[in-house]
Amino acid sequence: MEQQQIFEIIVNNTKELLPELESHNFSQSDSLRDLGANSVDRSELIMMTLEEMDANIPMAQMAKANNIGELAQIMFEQQA
Amino acid sequence: MSFDPVCITGVGITTGNGQGKEAVMSALYNAEHRFGYMQRPGRQLPSLQAQGPAEGFIGSEIQELVMPAAISSQLLRNTSFTAQVALATLSEAWDEANLAEVDPSRIGLIIGGSNVQQRDQTLAKDRLVGKERFVRPTHAMSFMDTDIAGLCSEAFGIKGFAYSLGGASASGQLAVIKAKQAVDSGLVDVCIAVGALMDLSYWECQSLRSLGAMGSTLFSDNPELACRPFDTRHDGFIYGESCAAIVVERVKSISRQLPAPKIYISGVGLCSDGNRQPHPSLEGEVTGIQQAMAQAQLTASDINYVNPHGSGSVIGDEVEVAALNECGLTDAHINTTKSIVGHGLSAAGAVEIAVTVEQMKRNKLHPSRNLVAPIDGTLPWVVDSAAEVEINNAMSLSLGFGGINTAICLSKT
Repeated sequence: MEQQQIFEIIVNNTKELLPELESHNFSQSDSLRDLGANSVDRSELIMMTLEEMDANIPMAQMAKANNIGELAQIMFEQQA
Repeated sequence: MSFDPVCITGVGITTGNGQGKEAVMSALYNAEHRFGYMQRPGRQLPSLQAQGPAEGFIGSEIQELVMPAAISSQLLRNTSFTAQVALATLSEAWDEANLAEVDPSRIGLIIGGSNVQQRDQTLAKDRLVGKERFVRPTHAMSFMDTDIAGLCSEAFGIKGFAYSLGGASASGQLAVIKAKQAVDSGLVDVCIAVGALMDLSYWECQSLRSLGAMGSTLFSDNPELACRPFDTRHDGFIYGESCAAIVVERVKSISRQLPAPKIYISGVGLCSDGNRQPHPSLEGEVTGIQQAMAQAQLTASDINYVNPHGSGSVIGDEVEVAALNECGLTDAHINTTKSIVGHGLSAAGAVEIAVTVEQMKRNKLHPSRNLVAPIDGTLPWVVDSAAEVEINNAMSLSLGFGGINTAICLSKT
């Protein structure tokens, strides 16, 4: 799956989890934490995204991401 | 009446018949039911889905749940149907008791029921067959019933305590009993007991049918006739989605303005049969009733209304009628709420206390559906139409698998 496609899945899932962000203009540098996603939201978002990608990536790998762009990059690089 | 009485200051009810006290009581007085083949996803055997609902389990389902505006959509994320119904029902009781004016640290919450979110979990597991590694992290929170207590405590800012309590089909009444004891002891001033909606999946429905607890075989082609507690043609309980919330408080600690009339919890009984069986025990039921009457300092002749457990199981109904006779509760008016609402399992005890309170306030008893030939014709059943009756003291019973017997006396003075 392309990195841009993964980014879009993350954005859509973030909107599903946090409906107040429906009209937010997402950028690569957006931090999930700053957007209002707590640690439970973030783990939920990652699992929703991995399911859509059908990818098997250890959760610990994603902890290094500082923003949505980095998260999409890690998922892109680690996908089997 | 004890020196420091405990009363009920708020009631919320949600059933398949309607949402809110007024809607539910109106349906009860008119014997308007919602029994049919159950349609909610996760409540049909997968192997039978292709054949349509005609082969399905019979029950009563909530048509549309209206969430109070004060409950944010953010809070409802990743919440089960059970949790949403609890929030809506608690909101009604909270508003009636005007709990916004009570110190949150003096309010406790007991969610009656264990393993009440089975259908949500079955649907989630069915969806992820072969893809189990994607199980949602939030399942780790929501699979525990305490999630409902936590969610409600967050929505209403409850700071005294909040936990869940299991007592099988006596859970709702057990929660009210524990709420009374919590305010009696001074642990909190107000305690809310919720009989949580037991959300059955096809797993539970099928096993309850196989066990012979859930009906109906006799009326499998006539869902509207299947639910008939205490009728000679009863053949098992019929499920009914429901939930109730009861606000319990010590009269002496009430400092805010509340409307009359007060209904007091005058006595409670609780005992175990010493076994894990689903069967009833005459000895256990009699003990529970006698404990409640003794604590209330009432005799059988003081009780003028009985809201029985009456699941609709053959042996359960027979033993309960025998217990009422043995305790001398033969002159009290009696009806069956389950004949119209269905059996809410964990919710039932709280729903029936709520319905008893509302009937006492209105001095009006609801009729009983499908009670064509009562198994004991000597008891003064309210059958065909609502009856205007001055109710001063009422008795309600609940029974749960695992030998759990509970009884409660409600009084006006």
